[in-house]
Amino acid sequence: MNVQLESPPETAILEIAPDTVKLAIKDLNFFYGAKQALFDVNVSFAANAVTALIGPSGCGKSTLLRTMNRMYSLYPGQKASGQILLDGEDVLSPRANVAAVRARIGMVFQKPTPFPMSIFDNVAYGVRLYEKLSKADMANRVEEALRRAALWDEVKDKLKESGLGLSGGQQQRLCVARGIAVKPEVLLLDEPASALDPISTARLEETIADLKSEYTVVIVTHNMGQAARLSDHTGFMYLGTLVEFGETEQVFTNPVTARARDYITGRFG
Amino acid sequence: MSMAAAAPRLSRRLGEIVFLSACWVATGVALVALAAILWSLLTKGVGGLDLNVFTKSTPAPGNEGGLLNAILGSVMMCVLAMIGAALVGFLAGTWLSEFARDSRYGKVVRFLNDVLLSAPSILVGLFVYEILVAPLKGFSGFAGAVALGLIAAPVITRTTEDVLRLQPTALREASVALGAPVWRTIFTVIWKSARSGMLTGALLAFARISGETAPLLFTALNNQFLSLDLTKPTANLPVVIANFALTAYDDWRRLAWTAALLITATVLVVTMLARILLRGNTRSS
Amino acid sequence: MSVTVDVPVAVPAAPPRSARGTGWDRAFEILCFSAATLLLTALGGLVISLVIGGWPALSKFGFAFFTSAEWDPVQEVYGAAGAIVGTVVSAGLALLLALPLAFGIAIFLVELCPPILRRTIGTAVELLAGIPSIVYGMWGLFVFAPWFAKHVQMPMMMSAKPGSLWEKLTAGIPNGAGIFTASVILAIMILPFIAATMRELLMTIPATVRESAYGLGSTTFEVIRNVSLPYVRTGAIGAVMLGLGRALGETMAVTFVIGNAHGFPTSLFSPGSTIASTIANEFTEATGELHLAALISLGLVLFVITFTVLALARLLIGRQQNL
Repeated sequence: MNVQLESPPETAILEIAPDTVKLAIKDLNFFYGAKQALFDVNVSFAANAVTALIGPSGCGKSTLLRTMNRMYSLYPGQKASGQILLDGEDVLSPRANVAAVRARIGMVFQKPTPFPMSIFDNVAYGVRLYEKLSKADMANRVEEALRRAALWDEVKDKLKESGLGLSGGQQQRLCVARGIAVKPEVLLLDEPASALDPISTARLEETIADLKSEYTVVIVTHNMGQAARLSDHTGFMYLGTLVEFGETEQVFTNPVTARARDYITGRFG
Repeated sequence: MSMAAAAPRLSRRLGEIVFLSACWVATGVALVALAAILWSLLTKGVGGLDLNVFTKSTPAPGNEGGLLNAILGSVMMCVLAMIGAALVGFLAGTWLSEFARDSRYGKVVRFLNDVLLSAPSILVGLFVYEILVAPLKGFSGFAGAVALGLIAAPVITRTTEDVLRLQPTALREASVALGAPVWRTIFTVIWKSARSGMLTGALLAFARISGETAPLLFTALNNQFLSLDLTKPTANLPVVIANFALTAYDDWRRLAWTAALLITATVLVVTMLARILLRGNTRSS
Repeated sequence: MSVTVDVPVAVPAAPPRSARGTGWDRAFEILCFSAATLLLTALGGLVISLVIGGWPALSKFGFAFFTSAEWDPVQEVYGAAGAIVGTVVSAGLALLLALPLAFGIAIFLVELCPPILRRTIGTAVELLAGIPSIVYGMWGLFVFAPWFAKHVQMPMMMSAKPGSLWEKLTAGIPNGAGIFTASVILAIMILPFIAATMRELLMTIPATVRESAYGLGSTTFEVIRNVSLPYVRTGAIGAVMLGLGRALGETMAVTFVIGNAHGFPTSLFSPGSTIASTIANEFTEATGELHLAALISLGLVLFVITFTVLALARLLIGRQQNL
C-alpha cells in the first residue's frame, strides 16, 4: 500500500452552489488580544438550511459564531480580519452598522437568558427596537414567534408573568422566540440545548428543524447526534481551523480528512 | 501516662471554653450597647414627641416650639443631595462596571472612590465651604445639599458597580444580539435586572447622609425660622441637635433628644428596608 | 485548500432596518465617563482646596505647625501637635478596645451563632453602624459619661497608689469627658465596621479548609488561630485599618465627649481635642484669616493621615479578595 498516495488531504471544504449562499466567510482570522483563535477560515453557508459546527471544545466553533454577528466588538482587545458577507455586504467592515447587522443575524446562547421582564415584553423587546407596531400587530407578532418556538400553548395564559418564572427548557424556547420575533435572516445557535433535559432538547430540536424553512441556521453543538439529526451541512473545526466542511451525511459517514475521521469515529466508538 | 496525656487536653478544653465565652461576651457587649442607646433615645425622646414637633419651628428658650423648620430643611437638602448623588453614582458605577472593568483609569477611579467613601465627612464640609460658601459669601442649604451629595455619591457608585458586575455577561450579549444598542441594553436590561440592588445602595446612602452633621456645620449652618429658600442658611435636624444638646435649657435639650430619636428611627427603618430589599433580591435570583 | 464563492448581490429580504438610537452609545459612554471623572475631580478638588485654604498658616508657621502644641487664637499662634496627638491616641485606643470585640463578634456570627439567631444578631450589629455620629455624641455625653465617671473612672482613680504611674494615667477631673471616654464611644462606633468586614472575610474561607482542620480534631479556637486567621490575615489587617480610618475622622461623637482642651493630653482621663473636633468647634467662630487657615491646614493633616490609612486598608482588602 502506498501510503503517500493515499494520504488524505489536510482540509476539505465543499463549495456550495453560489446562488444558494446566504453568508460567505472569506479569509477570516480572529484574535483574542495577541492570541490567534481562528486561522484563514473560508466557508459559505446556504440559505434555508441548517449548518452544524462541531469539534472539540476550544476549537473555535463558538468564536466563529461570535464573529458572524460582531458580538466580539463588545470587547476591546478582540479583533477579526477578513470578510463575512451577508448577501454580499461585509459585516466586518468598519462602516457596517453593527446593531443593524445583529438584528439581521439573531443569536441564541448556551444558557437561557430571559430578560427581567414579562414573557410578552421579552419577545417584544427586540421588535420594539426597530419597528413601531400597533398593539394588535405586536400581539400577533409575539404570538407568531411563540408559536414557531413551540411555546405558545404553555404560556398563552401568562404572558404578563415574568420570563424568569419559566422552566429552563421553556426559557430557552422563549429566547428562540425572542430571536425570531425580530425576523432575522440568519439564526446563530450556540449550543442551545447543552443546559436542557432530554425532553426539552427534543422539543427544541423540532423547533430548529421547523425554522429552516425561513431562516439560515448555524448551530454550534458538542452533541454529534444532534448535528447529524438537524443539519444539512456540517463543518468540523480543530485548533481554530475549519478542517472539513460538506454535506452532513458525507462528513459523518465518509469524512475525507484524517482529523475529522479520527474525531467522528472516535466519538462514535 | 494517662496524666501526661490528659494534661494538654484539659488546657486545650479550658482554652476553648475561655475563647468561646469571649466571643459570646463580645457579641453581648455590642448588643447591650445598641440596646442602651435605643433605650436612652426612647426614654428621653418619646416624651417630647407631640404634634408641635411637626407643626412648629424651633423656639426661643422657654417658648413652645417644634422641629418643623429643621425637618423640612433636612428633607429638602437630603432629597436634593440624593437626586444629584443618584445621577452621578448610577452613571459612574455603570462606567466602572460596563466600560472600564480592566482599564487603568478605571482602577484609579475605583480606588479613589473607595477612599472618598470612607473619607472624614468634616473634610467634605471644609471643601464645600471653600468652593461654595466662601466665594458666594454666605451659608446656604444648597451648599449643604452639595456636601451631602458628595458623601452619598461614592456609596451609590460602589454599590452600583458591585451589583452590575453580578449581572451575567450572557444577559448583555443576548440583548446586544437582538440589535439593541449598548445604552439601551444597559437601561432596559442590565439596570432593570439590578434595580433592587441599586435601590439598596441608594437607600444606604440616604441612611448615611440623613444623620450627617459635620459637613452641614459650615455649609447649611442653621436657621431659627421656617424657610424654603435653599440659597439662605437652612435649618436641619443634625445641627439643631448639636446646638440644642449643648445648652443649659431643658426644653431645648428635650427637643434635641426628640430630634435624635427621629433621625435614628429614620436611619434604622431605611437601613432595614434596604436589607429586606436586598434579601428579596438574592432569594429571587 | 481555500474556496472562493461568487456571491450574488441579493436584494435584502427583510425590510431595511434603521437602528433607532445606535448613535447614542458613544454619548452614553461619555456621560458615564464624566460621572466617574466628576468623583475623581471632587477628591482632587478637596485636596487642592485644603492646600490653598491652609497655605497662609502653613507658610507662616512652617514645620513648627506640626511640632508645636500651642493653639492660641488670641495670640494668633497655631500648632497642630496637640490635636494630631489627640487624634492618633483616641483612635489608637479605640482600635485596641474595638479589635478583640469585633473579632469576637465576627467569629461568633460565623462559627458559633445558632442559625435562627444569625440574621437577627447580624442585623443588630449592623444597625449599630447606622446610628448617626451625633446621636453617639449625645448618648456619650449625657448617658455614658456620667455612668463611666461614677462606675469606672472614680474606682480607678481611688485604686491608684500615690506617686505611681497608674496615678498619672488616671489623673483628671472625674466628669467622664476626656480622651478615654471618646475612645470608648469611638470603639463602639467602629466595631460594627470591622466585624462586618471580618465576617465577610471569614466566610470566604472554603468550607473544606476549615472542615479538614476540624477533622484533625482541632478545637474551634485552634481552627480560628491556626487556619482561619492566617488565611484571611492580609484582609483582616485591611479591615482593622478601615476601622482606624473611620475613628481618625469621626467628628461629632468625639466633639461631644472629649472635653475640648488644646494641648497634649496628660492622662487617660484628661480632656483633649482631635483635629476633627477642633475644626467642628472653632470653624464657624474663627476669629480671623489666620485662624481659618490654621483650621483648614488641620483638615489637610487629617486628610493625609486618613488617606494613608484608608489607601493601605483598601490595598490590603483588595489583595485578599483577589486571592
